Amino acid sequence: MTREYQDSNDPTIRDLSASSALSRELLAIHNRSCGTMFRTTAFVLAGLFILGVIGFVVKIITDGPEDKASWGYHAAVFAFIITTASAAPIVAIAPRMVKAHWRRSISRAAELWAVVGVLSLVLFLPLLAVLPSLADGRRTFWFYHPGEVPEFTPHVWTTLAILGLTVLGLALVWMSSLPDMALLRDNSSGWKQGMARRLAFGWKGTSRQWFIQKHRLGILGAFYFMMLVFAHFMIVADFLMPLVPGWIDALFPATHAFNGLQAGIATVLITMFFLRKYGGYRDYIGIDQFRSMGKLLLATSLLWVWFWFSSFNVLWYGAKPSEQAVLELLMVGPYLPIFLAVFVTVFIIPFFTMIWNPVRRSTWGPPLIAVSVLIGTLLDRVRLYVAAYSVPGIGDPKIDKHELHIGDVPSAVIPNVSDVLIVVGAIAGAILIYMLVTRIIPVMNIWEQKELLLYKVHKSFHRTEVQILGKPD
Amino acid sequence: MQEHIQIDDNKQINNDLLSGVLSWPKWHLAAASFLALVIATGLGAYGWELNKGVGVAGINRPVYWGFYLANFVFWIGISHAGIMVSAILRLTQAEWRRPVTRAAEVLTLFSLLAALSNIFFHLGRPWRAFWIQPYDFARGIWPNVRSPFVWDPAAIGTYLIGSSLFVYVALLPDIAVIRDKSKGKVAKTVYGVLCLGWRGTPRQWKLQAVSGILLSALVLPVFVSVHSIVSWDFAVQIGVEGWHSTIFAPYFIIGAIHSGVSAVAMVMALMVWMWKGYDKYIRPDHFDAIGRLLIVVATTWFFFFALEFIYAIYTLEEPELALRELQVLQWPYGFLFIVFLLSSYFIPIPLWLFKNVRKSAKWMFWTTILVNIGMWLERFLIIIPGLARRQAFTFDWGTYHPSIIEILLVAETFAFVALGILVFSKVFPLVPLFDVKEGMVFRDEIKVGRITVPASIRE
Repeated sequence: MTREYQDSNDPTIRDLSASSALSRELLAIHNRSCGTMFRTTAFVLAGLFILGVIGFVVKIITDGPEDKASWGYHAAVFAFIITTASAAPIVAIAPRMVKAHWRRSISRAAELWAVVGVLSLVLFLPLLAVLPSLADGRRTFWFYHPGEVPEFTPHVWTTLAILGLTVLGLALVWMSSLPDMALLRDNSSGWKQGMARRLAFGWKGTSRQWFIQKHRLGILGAFYFMMLVFAHFMIVADFLMPLVPGWIDALFPATHAFNGLQAGIATVLITMFFLRKYGGYRDYIGIDQFRSMGKLLLATSLLWVWFWFSSFNVLWYGAKPSEQAVLELLMVGPYLPIFLAVFVTVFIIPFFTMIWNPVRRSTWGPPLIAVSVLIGTLLDRVRLYVAAYSVPGIGDPKIDKHELHIGDVPSAVIPNVSDVLIVVGAIAGAILIYMLVTRIIPVMNIWEQKELLLYKVHKSFHRTEVQILGKPD
Repeated sequence: MQEHIQIDDNKQINNDLLSGVLSWPKWHLAAASFLALVIATGLGAYGWELNKGVGVAGINRPVYWGFYLANFVFWIGISHAGIMVSAILRLTQAEWRRPVTRAAEVLTLFSLLAALSNIFFHLGRPWRAFWIQPYDFARGIWPNVRSPFVWDPAAIGTYLIGSSLFVYVALLPDIAVIRDKSKGKVAKTVYGVLCLGWRGTPRQWKLQAVSGILLSALVLPVFVSVHSIVSWDFAVQIGVEGWHSTIFAPYFIIGAIHSGVSAVAMVMALMVWMWKGYDKYIRPDHFDAIGRLLIVVATTWFFFFALEFIYAIYTLEEPELALRELQVLQWPYGFLFIVFLLSSYFIPIPLWLFKNVRKSAKWMFWTTILVNIGMWLERFLIIIPGLARRQAFTFDWGTYHPSIIEILLVAETFAFVALGILVFSKVFPLVPLFDVKEGMVFRDEIKVGRITVPASIRE
């Protein structure tokens, strides 16, 4: 029953030379020079990012941090980036924990999005100036009392959470890429070799190093996940819900974090599509990956509607005036068209397409639906943050912070030029950072691919051939 | 280290797993008699309640919902085990599910029936329970579809039908084996009818596999809807502080999974101890896998619990704060609250972090019993203090003391579920034969360097 890995009689088993060939092939793809398309895209994105910075400067000069309503779009794009890019590494972490082999060719692509966490942190900093201290009397889970609780507690803790998430994300990427950086160190030249030497941190591939690397990778993954949930909780609890008087929704911090899982999956799906189509990884990213991710997208779409309905049903059925006003503000009032668009793009479209096997089992279906999900996620963040930041009263102790009246629901805030520039620039910046990082760190996890060679064998089984996958303890 | 026992002889698998069906384990009759006695006592108590009226129970103004409703929510929670372990693990192709799916599914069926019985215990005039059905259009009696109490029977009924089908479809190949192995004419005829002419043709296997996967996928939304609707019995109204919370649906679901999967682990331990030969199929690896799953489930549950509690205090509304004070700081609820937290999370989780604990049937048995004590108390602490708090415009602040009738009826539900599983195990195998055999065929090992790694066939 027990089969030897190096069984020379079995032609289907890849031997050590296959492992070396795999390394050479993947290093060659990584080391090849940037194509015209890559450079052009990078230049365009850099241009858009600079325009975003200009838009940000214009906003500071024209509106200043005092006008909360004008910062809604900035808050929305910050939330969008943290909901998508910062959540994408979970696609690598969770399947790695359950030892799903299909993740191997996409795990690095997912993890690299953690680097974009730096942009999240930068985007978050202006919001510290926008959000007033707790002294305005708003509802807060810090239970503010003058003199007993520091009045800038939300600012400190949320910053620490996002900073912690960023640092953990960088550590995760580094820990995951250690063996590949060593490979790059030994097989490249020029600046890439210098960079790889520094990042490889003396990796030799001893048994002890492998043990420590895998152990720490597991711990960092678990902590990253917990920190992601914590960061979402802090953002929602301090920078979103208290801005709307009467918005008491115990589920919403979990919903916000959970939306991240769906959007993270969508982000990785689109990344996979581009890597397969233009990155040279056609042989590595195949139907298996798209189908598995498609299933996850379907499951998360169903969970999205369940989370949303769980909140909506309780608030709507209860019919408390303050809760009706919150629903009016966020769903059925001035932002109704956006809410409907969100519902269609994040639930209806993914659900009614991903239930079909042929769509899931294609290389175009899941990425196409992922685009719909990402558009919906951006609109969702706009609906929530722009609406919340437009409610008057925050920072003004004279206005009631505990109840919103339907008559006081503000009208929709239409974005101005600087808002559009900030949103487009931030998204362009996120993609640009990702693209640049892929030039330094191999976007395909080479050591995990080589490991798969050890755990995957084929053998004949009655009249067919089957694949046998090992799952190490 | 491989702890799996490879058995390639199908006859041996049949003999091992059908030992409970084709022969009488010695303890079987004694256990069944004891459980029947508890049930008879409970039914006697119910007869007394029917005769004297629901006033013999401890429920009163303003605590209208007591033990019965806490017990109802508890059993609905346990009933989620079958689908969690069976459907989700089947869809995700988790190999360790194979020997435990049947027991989990059967637990679902009897827990659902036990949950339903609590509703009848609670009704003042249970003979009018059928009014929930739109049975007579001419009289204009039409249930109010906007009421969660109408959503409940619809969801639970659908879940019961779906779960029964789920169990039955998975049973077909095993019933055919019993048909072929049973000696009596009556048994042969009954099993022959029940297996629907199963011969094990490729077409039959294909249809059985496809229907199993389809039912898994279809029953999952029902499983989510059932406990969501049970939670909305509480959450959609604003009259009781502490109940009107948006998080109730996911919080109830994850709590149900926590208690349900714990119950499955407990049943697994009992199967290993009580049925001869089952220990060859339910191995320490299976306890380890369910232990790992429980760590994730329990931690997610605790996150939702924390959110529910934090946002209750976040409101800063006086009735809500008063309720939380009653729930956490006042006797006896405060004491029960501490027991609930310790037993459902703070004792089992640190223990489950140790592999030796996870791999031990004994440890898993006792820790999962602790979880279910805690989860029963959780339901009690949600329902009773919520109603017992002092509130405006209520002349009666009566506290709640469960009567002996309620205690006997709660005990009856536990005995009913246990007896149900026992009777089922006498008629059908508690470990699915075909699934185990398939697992034996699919299992393999590969050697990587000096290590032997468990492996399985993937088509």
